Amino acid sequence: MAFDALFKPIEIGNLTIRNRVVSTAHAEVHATDGGMTTDRYVKYYEEKAKGGCGLCICGGSSPVSIDSPQAWWSSVNVSTDRIIPHFQNLADAVHKHGGKIMIQITHMGRRSRWDGFDWPTLLSPSGIREPVHRSTCKTIEEEEIWRVIDDFAQGARRVKEGGLDGIELSAVHQHLIDQFWSPRVNKREDQWGGSFENRMRFGMEVIKAVRAEVGDDFVVGLRICGDEFHPDGLTHDDMKQIAAYYDATGMIDFFGVVGSGCDTHNTLANVIPNMSYPPEPFLHLAAGIKDVVSVPVIHAQNIKDPNQASRILEGGYVDLVGMTRAHIADPHLIAKIKMGQTDQIRQCVGANYCIDRQYQGLDVLCIQNAATSREYLGLPHEIAPSDGPKRKVVVVGGGPGGMEAARVAAERGHDVTLFEASEQIGGQITLAAKAPQRDQIAGITRWYQLELARLKVDLRVGTRADEATIADLRPDIVVLATGGQPFLSQVPEWGYSEDRGQSLVVSTWDILGGAVEPGKNVLIYDTICEFAGVSAADYLADKGAKVEIVTDDIKPGAAVGGTTFPTYYRSLYEKEVIMTSDLALHKVYREGDALVAVLENEYTGAQEERVVDQVVVENGVRPDEALYYALKERSRNKGQVDIEALYAIQPQPALATLDDDPDAGFVLFRLGDCTAPRNTHAAIYDALRICKDF
Amino acid sequence: MLDILLPILIFSALALAAIGAVRRIRLWRQGRPSPVPVLRGLAAVPRRYLVDLHHVVARDKVMSNTHVATAGGFVAAMALAIVVHGLGLAEGVLGWLLLAASATMFAGSLFVARRRRDPPARLSKGPWMRLPKSLMAFSLGIFAVTLPAVGVLPADAGGWLVAVLLAAVVAWGLAELVFGMTWGGPMKHAFAGALHLAFHRRPTRFSVKRGGEGRSTGLKALDLDDADAPLGVEKPADFTWNQLLGFDACVQCGRCEAVCPAFAAGQPLNPKKLVQDMVVGMVGGSDARYAGSPYPGKPVGEHAGDPHGPIVAREGTALVDAETLWSCTTCRACVEECPMMIEHVDAIVDMRRFLTLERGETPNKGAEVLDNLIATDNPGGFDPGSRLHWAADLDLPLIADRGEAEVLLWLGDGVFDMRNQRTLRSLVKVLRAARVDFAVLGNEERDSGDVARRLGDEATFQRLARRNIATLSQYRFDRIVTCDPHSFHVLKNEYGALGGDYEVFHHSTYLHTLIEAGALSITPTALGRVTYHDPCYLGRYNGEYAAPRAVLEALGVELVEMARSGYRSRCCGGGGGAPITDVPGKQRIPDMRMNDVRETGAELVAVGCPQCTAMLEGVVAEDRAEIKDIAELVAAALGDDATPAPAASDTRRTTEEVMG
Repeated sequence: MAFDALFKPIEIGNLTIRNRVVSTAHAEVHATDGGMTTDRYVKYYEEKAKGGCGLCICGGSSPVSIDSPQAWWSSVNVSTDRIIPHFQNLADAVHKHGGKIMIQITHMGRRSRWDGFDWPTLLSPSGIREPVHRSTCKTIEEEEIWRVIDDFAQGARRVKEGGLDGIELSAVHQHLIDQFWSPRVNKREDQWGGSFENRMRFGMEVIKAVRAEVGDDFVVGLRICGDEFHPDGLTHDDMKQIAAYYDATGMIDFFGVVGSGCDTHNTLANVIPNMSYPPEPFLHLAAGIKDVVSVPVIHAQNIKDPNQASRILEGGYVDLVGMTRAHIADPHLIAKIKMGQTDQIRQCVGANYCIDRQYQGLDVLCIQNAATSREYLGLPHEIAPSDGPKRKVVVVGGGPGGMEAARVAAERGHDVTLFEASEQIGGQITLAAKAPQRDQIAGITRWYQLELARLKVDLRVGTRADEATIADLRPDIVVLATGGQPFLSQVPEWGYSEDRGQSLVVSTWDILGGAVEPGKNVLIYDTICEFAGVSAADYLADKGAKVEIVTDDIKPGAAVGGTTFPTYYRSLYEKEVIMTSDLALHKVYREGDALVAVLENEYTGAQEERVVDQVVVENGVRPDEALYYALKERSRNKGQVDIEALYAIQPQPALATLDDDPDAGFVLFRLGDCTAPRNTHAAIYDALRICKDF
Repeated sequence: MLDILLPILIFSALALAAIGAVRRIRLWRQGRPSPVPVLRGLAAVPRRYLVDLHHVVARDKVMSNTHVATAGGFVAAMALAIVVHGLGLAEGVLGWLLLAASATMFAGSLFVARRRRDPPARLSKGPWMRLPKSLMAFSLGIFAVTLPAVGVLPADAGGWLVAVLLAAVVAWGLAELVFGMTWGGPMKHAFAGALHLAFHRRPTRFSVKRGGEGRSTGLKALDLDDADAPLGVEKPADFTWNQLLGFDACVQCGRCEAVCPAFAAGQPLNPKKLVQDMVVGMVGGSDARYAGSPYPGKPVGEHAGDPHGPIVAREGTALVDAETLWSCTTCRACVEECPMMIEHVDAIVDMRRFLTLERGETPNKGAEVLDNLIATDNPGGFDPGSRLHWAADLDLPLIADRGEAEVLLWLGDGVFDMRNQRTLRSLVKVLRAARVDFAVLGNEERDSGDVARRLGDEATFQRLARRNIATLSQYRFDRIVTCDPHSFHVLKNEYGALGGDYEVFHHSTYLHTLIEAGALSITPTALGRVTYHDPCYLGRYNGEYAAPRAVLEALGVELVEMARSGYRSRCCGGGGGAPITDVPGKQRIPDMRMNDVRETGAELVAVGCPQCTAMLEGVVAEDRAEIKDIAELVAAALGDDATPAPAASDTRRTTEEVMG
């Protein structure tokens, strides 16, 4: 049996888990009302259980104490008995489908923010500031230590009373327990610091108190890091010693292992490895812990593929694999393996849109699967065929929005034609995948390619649709997702011309798409600060160019997410790319064979010049609206999307008119960048919520 | 002059027939002994002929009537001719009756002749092509010579020349129809066929007066403790004598050939040729005179055998090639169609037993599967402790914990297959929704032995069966329910000989009783066009055609039947270890079956067998119909509220408890 290592049940404590796949703890950032799990929260986990996930550990960083603030990430609030009935709903929803669910509980110590809500004073063993959240804190006192230990016990009791299957104590990500462990932040000289036993004491007292509260027949696990990756932090050997120390108590039922600490931007990026990392980069650390403990070990981090997961389990490196982002991308991952539909799994590409939203305190969403975490709205992971008439649907533009529109319409059972002017579908994803270490993003397109073929969508690549070709197909519904073009004409002084021979500037698309040869000495002006600018810089540097990337914003790459900019910076600094802030591109002119870029300081107005042989401008996208306006008047809804229906996930009213008056023309929608430049998720979400009712 | 010639002809024909009969019986008696109740057997012939055999023959109405006229006419004409012409007692009505009988026979023979003008491929040619002429010669000849006897013509009409000519015609007819019956030739079937009915090795397959459909489909057990008994059949003389008699009864009508899935797929098997080869082996000689369709890809005339020579050569060729025997799916379509009640599948398994047990020559994956069964009690070689892995989240009640249950749910080796696990989960969901008191054996369950037995490994079959029987004997349950027709058949029909007698239900039958009893609240959903594929081991082996259809009807399904359904259902190709021995052909059997499905325009095929599901789902085709087990369809009709998990799961189990 294929994947049988994946489907071998395992016992954790007194609990039998039906397979070896875990959705590990992460902040969902949609737990509230006030830390109480909502319908949205329950449905998000129910979908994973329905999809076959063996164990869900929910509620990443759910605080047990009120001075570990809950509100910043809308965490589940375990510090009050009010949570208990909410847990019961959650447990029932998951158990109904044969899944098990635990929750991570913690006190985050200094790793939070104090400047809001209750304006807490954050606690830490030695009052040392935390850089990622820029958070200062006080040195925790003995009384507070014992209070927090009791809070842990009370939190554990609430979880047990709520009917969840267990708890995971967070001693990872530099929360309070591992703040006590780490000599990097624990400088105490009392019984809570200094020697190994003293540094272990807080964790030990928490475990003892929790175990005393919940008894022996309730699962208690400990999530730890495998190596803090700081010269003054805990090493892998230290972590093995710590794991063995707590394992010897017999009070811990499982260990979760995360490679890397995360109290700096750079280490934090390791924790949720993005697409630039190799598969399972920190498995060796988890395997090292497994060597020294007697209970099952769970490890997540860049395990996305069922074959990879099976290989890890077959190798015996760990006992359970965390496939957390893999489940965010496709909560039916396990069911699809069991159905023999591994080709239909929407595989996580490591774009880290989910986690990068979380770090901004925004709800966790998937770049490519707009149904994830929107189950409660009725957005489906499995699109049921329409029971209405079969429609002729024409989609123009094969970028993310167009691909999703074509997929959803075809799943509904309609006759779908997708036009793409270029030779391949993918749109801007194809360009994004050209940058060094960004190739995996093309996985989004790969999935659509397989799905559109499976759904027998009439795919017409290399074909630019116009009014006539669309009319020939006699469509009932036309969806335009024609995207746009780089917006280089905004500032005439930049010297952009449609005639490439005349133009003084080129776009990041020209560079990444290979339309323009890389220069030797290049200035990139990036006013957007998202992926395209830093990707072009990395690409050019990789080709041997001397590159300076300049922005008028805070810093190049400032709008790239928190777990992603560090990997860009590692690459850019290594290739000696110069990153310059606060300068706007004022003007470009030609001087002999060279180009002169005039830069103006945002704050002083002072100008300086760069003499280069290529100027690349990243100024975002200008929508391509020509086809829309050509079709708009002939459509029955004048191209309008009913936004009340859209936001309420209700059918577009124009669809209902198709049968009343068949001669009133087609229904026309446009979505994605051809309306206004937003992002991949926005295009896919609009496509899903508009097309799901076709 | 005829009154002198005719008695001589008739009585010499009868005498020659008697000599031939002795010779024929001696040929059969080369086989191993098989005790039969001689008189009771002979007494049963009329009923077996008129009821059971007729039931099969009557599936072709024209041919049935033709046979009634021809055979009935002949039997009457021959009996009367002995009296009228042999003994010269032509008085009264006898002569007229003889005229009527021979005229009826003649009318029948015209239809025989018509059938032979453009015979279907399945009919053997050769000597069979002259049969209509012989029938006409006899019937016309007897008719003509009887005319003077009743006084319609003067006794010396036509003079001596005509008399000699007529006598020659009658002699021809007598030669074919009387002593040809025992000396070989087409009419041999009448003699051997009648005795085969009397001494059939499966007397319980025939109906009895007090009612009930006769059925006997379980393979007969080898006595492994008898050191002298051969392990299977190596040479023709290793068959029992009544098996040889059965082969000799073959009329070469080719009904078996027409329904054989392996033959249609171009695999080297033709049941008719196989039976004829057994006759060749019994008599000794080559198959050169065989005049029917050969085994696909194997020209006639290259094989020969004798009663005491090996049927399958170790090297080179003998009577039959091993791959012919391994092509069979044991679907019993040939047996079902055979008007002479020949047991092809028994013979094939007998010969496989020798190849596997004595020579260890189970081909392709066969040896591996048997090794797995020996080492792990399941054909896939999976960890025997992992039988319940698929159900870790279902908290299935173990009968070992409870000692008893109303229903023992027999899971089968489908527990190791992800596709079948969906069926099993559906079945569990349905049983729970119906509040059935059920339990499973869990890791105590072993492979039923079906595959081992059909691959000829009787020893492994009996070992598995005895261990299962020993396990089952520890617990109390009212009945066994299983979604696997192979387990169903073996538990129901083949464990009895080893001491295991149970009430066994296929899940479709059991689900039907649950629905009938109102234990399930079904919400019919639109499923589109649905067809149903009868699994061989449920249908032909066990006669269950109605319950699955009734379940589908209860689901609101409007069933479209395939051209071949019910007792004529075409095998999926998955039985008898055929996917394991994997003999190549020109096409795949499941592809042909899915073509049958396509012809109905069905979007969904309902099935009731893990093997069928696997085979049919393995078909790669544009717009292939979806394949769903009956249990899945019922489970889906229960809605989302019914879950496979137990209603109250407050008692948690450890892996140790669940997995043993």
